[in-house]
Amino acid sequence: MHTIIEPFRIKSIEPIYFNTALERKSVLEKAFYNPFLIHSNDVIIDLLTDSGTSAMSSNQWAGIMNGDESYAGSPSFFRFKETVQGITGMPFIIPTHQGRAAERILFEMIGGPGKFFISNTLFDTTRANIEFSGATGIDLICEEGKHPSIPAPFKGNMDVKALTQTIKEKGAENIPLIILTITNNSGGGQPVSMQNIQAVHKVCKQFQIPLFLDACRFAENAWFIKMREEGYADKTIPEIVHELFSYADGCTMSAKKDAFANIGGFLAMHSESLALQCRNLLIITEGFPTYGGLAGRDLEAISIGLKEVMEENYLQYRVRSIEYLTEKLVAAGVPVMRPGGGHAVYLDAKEFLPHIPIDQYPGQALTCALYEEGGIRSVEIGSLMFGKYDSGGKLIPATLELVRLAIPRRVYTQSHIDYVAEVVIDVFKKRNQIHGLEILEEAPALRHFTVKLKPITV
Amino acid sequence: MKMVELLKMTTLAQRKKALQEAGYNTFLIHSDDVYIDLLTDSGTSAMSDRQWAGMMLGDEAYAGSRNFFHLEKVVQEVYGYSYLVPTHQGRGAENILSRILIRKGDIIPGNMYFTTTRLHQELAGGKFEDIIIDEAHDPENEFPFKGNVDLSKLEKLINKYGAARIPYVSIATSVNMAGGQPISMANLKELRAFTKKHKIRIIHDMTRVAENAFFIQQKEKGYDKKSIREIVREINSYTDGATMSAKKDALVNIGGFLAVNDWDIFEEARNMVVVYEGLHTYGGLAGRDMEAMAIGIEESVSKDHIKARVGQVLYLGNKMLNYGIPIVKPIGGHGVFVNAKKFLPHIPQENFPAQALAAELYLDAGVRTMERGIVSAGRKPNGENYFPKLELVRFTIPRRVYTQAHMDVIAESAAIVYDRRKKIKGLKMVYEPKYLRFFQAKFEKLQ
Repeated sequence: MHTIIEPFRIKSIEPIYFNTALERKSVLEKAFYNPFLIHSNDVIIDLLTDSGTSAMSSNQWAGIMNGDESYAGSPSFFRFKETVQGITGMPFIIPTHQGRAAERILFEMIGGPGKFFISNTLFDTTRANIEFSGATGIDLICEEGKHPSIPAPFKGNMDVKALTQTIKEKGAENIPLIILTITNNSGGGQPVSMQNIQAVHKVCKQFQIPLFLDACRFAENAWFIKMREEGYADKTIPEIVHELFSYADGCTMSAKKDAFANIGGFLAMHSESLALQCRNLLIITEGFPTYGGLAGRDLEAISIGLKEVMEENYLQYRVRSIEYLTEKLVAAGVPVMRPGGGHAVYLDAKEFLPHIPIDQYPGQALTCALYEEGGIRSVEIGSLMFGKYDSGGKLIPATLELVRLAIPRRVYTQSHIDYVAEVVIDVFKKRNQIHGLEILEEAPALRHFTVKLKPITV
Repeated sequence: MKMVELLKMTTLAQRKKALQEAGYNTFLIHSDDVYIDLLTDSGTSAMSDRQWAGMMLGDEAYAGSRNFFHLEKVVQEVYGYSYLVPTHQGRGAENILSRILIRKGDIIPGNMYFTTTRLHQELAGGKFEDIIIDEAHDPENEFPFKGNVDLSKLEKLINKYGAARIPYVSIATSVNMAGGQPISMANLKELRAFTKKHKIRIIHDMTRVAENAFFIQQKEKGYDKKSIREIVREINSYTDGATMSAKKDALVNIGGFLAVNDWDIFEEARNMVVVYEGLHTYGGLAGRDMEAMAIGIEESVSKDHIKARVGQVLYLGNKMLNYGIPIVKPIGGHGVFVNAKKFLPHIPQENFPAQALAAELYLDAGVRTMERGIVSAGRKPNGENYFPKLELVRFTIPRRVYTQAHMDVIAESAAIVYDRRKKIKGLKMVYEPKYLRFFQAKFEKLQ
C-alpha cells in the first residue's frame, strides 16, 4: 500500500520562530515551569492542544467572508442550525462561544449539590463545571482503559456493570445525566464502541436518565468504529455518526476540535423545555440565541467544518498520522498509551520517569523536559490537572500520569512529526537527569492553567 | 468601500408575514428579511482592510498567543488600564466583574441602567440604583451632558446604606438607555473626588468611550484642542477598571474585556475567566479576533473616524427633526432615539408603544429598529414591571456600514409612518421569558 498522504495541500503558511536550548531554559524559568504560561512565539511545535488550533480550509475561510453579523436572525445561524440538526438529529440547537460555555449552561441548569454526573471520563473543564455547580463527577472507565500499555480496540468504553451499580447506589433521581465523552480525551483519546454506547443507552432508558455525548471528537470516534467494530466496515461515516447520536438525548460540543474551527461550540438536544431553560441562561452570559457569543462568520466556519470532518480520506490520514508517531516511539521503547488515540499521543509519565514520585508531578516534569530539549509544548494530564488534596493536605493522585502530545488538525507535516519523535526519544535517553517539581502557587479550580512551579534539585 | 454585502429587497406582503412570524418582536425577524438593519450597533461594524489583514495574522495558540500580547499593549497604551482579561464579549466581562465585586445586599449606583449590566448585578445579589441627573429622563431637555451623575443622589445612597455596601459606582460612557448621552469630564472629576473620599471604586462601562470623548471635545470648555485619544485616557484615569464590549467602539464583530488597575481583582478574574470564558490569554476569543480588536481600538480614537461616525448620526437625527418626528435631544452618539410616548400618545405604556412603533417601522420599508422602553426594562426582582420614564425606539447606526443615501431612506420611511401614526395600535405580550425578556418576547396586535 502507498503512503497515506494528506488529502489537502497548503494554501497559507505561518512562520515558526526557532530558539536555542539555552533561551528555552530561561523561558521555562520565567513561565514557572508551566507550558500554559509560555508565549506561543517561544514554541517551535505546539502540541499543547488540538483545540482551536486547526488550520481552516479555503472553503471555511470563504465562509468567514460570508459571515452575516446581524445581531438577530443571521442566515449564518440558520445554515449552522441546519447542519447541526442534520448531523445530530436533534431539533434544538444552541450556539455558544465554546464548549465549556455549553457545559456550564447545562450543568448550571441541572447540576447542584447532591447531584451526581457519571461518565466514562470527564474532561477537565467538564469536571470543573460540574463541581462548580456543587455536584459530583464520577468516572467509570472500563478495565482496559486503566492500563496504558496494553492495547485494546475500545479503551474509552464505560464500565456498564459499574454504571448500573453506581446508579442503584446513588439513586437514579440524583443523577441528572450520564455523559459519554467520545473519544475519551483524558483517557488517551480512546474511542467508545457502538456496542458500549448502545449498552449505556439501555441502562439510561431503564433508569430514565438522559444520555448526553461530549461530542468534540465524534468523527474520529466514528472512524475507529468503522475500522475496528464488527459490522461497521461497510457503513459510511455519516451513517455511523447518525447512529451514534441516535442513542443520545443531547450533546455538548466544542467546535474547536472536530469542526476545525478556531472558536465556537454548541448544545443540542431533543427536549424543548430544557432548551428553553438553557436559552434563558445563554442570553445572560453568552449572547442572543442566534449567535450565542460568536461572530456570524464563525457559525459559517463551523458548519462547513462539520461537513469536511466526515470525509473518509481525511479521517484515515488523521488517525494514521497519530499511529505513525506512536509506532516511532514504541519502536524506540518509549512508554506510550496504546493503541494511538484519535487526536494525540499520550506518553506514560509514570513509566517514563519512575524515579520521580507522583507528588513531584512526573508528567509536568516531562512536559518541561520536552520543551527544553526541542521547543515542543505538550500538556500534563495527570495529578497536576486532576489531583486533589485530602483533608490533611496530602495529594490524592489521578489514575494515570500522562503527557499528551495533541496534534492540531491539518497544521503540521510529516517532517514536523519526525522531529517530534526525535526530541521525545532524545529526552527518553536522558530521562534519569530529569527532576521533579513542587508547587509554588495555585488556584482553587483548574489549577493547571495558571499554576507556578519550581524544580526540586537535591 | 473595499468590500460590499448585498441587500435583499422585500415586498410589503413578505414583511407582514415575517413580522407576524416574529411575534412583533424585531429581534426575532430573520436578517434576510431586513433591508436596513438598525437593531444594534453591537458587533455590526464594517471592519477596515487593516483589521481584515489582522484577521489573517491570528495566532490560534491556546496559551500565550501573540495577539493577546498585542491587545494587552494597546489596552494599556490607548486606555491606560494596567491588567487585561479578554472575554468573548462585554457581558462575559460583566458576569465576571459582578461575581468578584458584588456581595449579597450590595448597592450599585450608576448613571442609568443597562439591560445586561443590571441583570448581572442582580444575579450577583446586588441592587442597581439610578443616580443619573433628572434631565436624562426628559427627552426634550437639551442639556449637553445628560449622562452626568447627580452627586446628591449618590450622597443619599451613602447616607442610607453606608459606603461599605457600595462596592463600586458604575459609570457608562456614553449612556445608551438615555439615548447615547455623554457624561462631562467635569462631572466625572467631581464624582471621582467624591467617591475617593468614601473609598468607593468607579467601574467604567466603556463600550462607547470614544463617542463620549468626541462630545467632550465638541462641547466642554477646555477640551477643543485635546485629541480624542487624550480625552479617552483622561476619562479612564478617573476610574479603577472597566468592562468593555468591543463590539461597539472598537469596531469588531466579536470580543470584549475586563481591564483593571488592581492586581488582586485581576488575579481573581484570571482564575474565574477560565471557568466561564477560556484561558486568560484568549478568554473565549479566536486569536484573530484579538488582533482585529487591537487594531480597531487604535482606529476608534482617530479624529476622522469619530467625526464621520457621530456626524452620520447627527445627519439622520436632524433630518428626522425636520420632518417633525419627536426624538430624544440632543442627538446621541450611536443612534437616534425616537420618543414613542409622544409619537403614539394614544397608546398607554402597558400596551408597549415603542414595541408597536418598531414593528410598524419595519413594515413600512424593512428598516429594523429596537424597542428601548417598558419591554427592555423588564421586571423588578419582586416581579413587578419597571415603568421607565423613557419609552424609546432606537435607530442604532452600525459603524462604517451604511451610506448617506441609506440615512435618507430611513428618515423618509420614519416620516411616512409618522404621517399615519394615529392608525397604529398597541400590543399585548403573549410570551415572556424569565431574563432579558425583550430579546425573545412575543406579542399580538390589539384590535
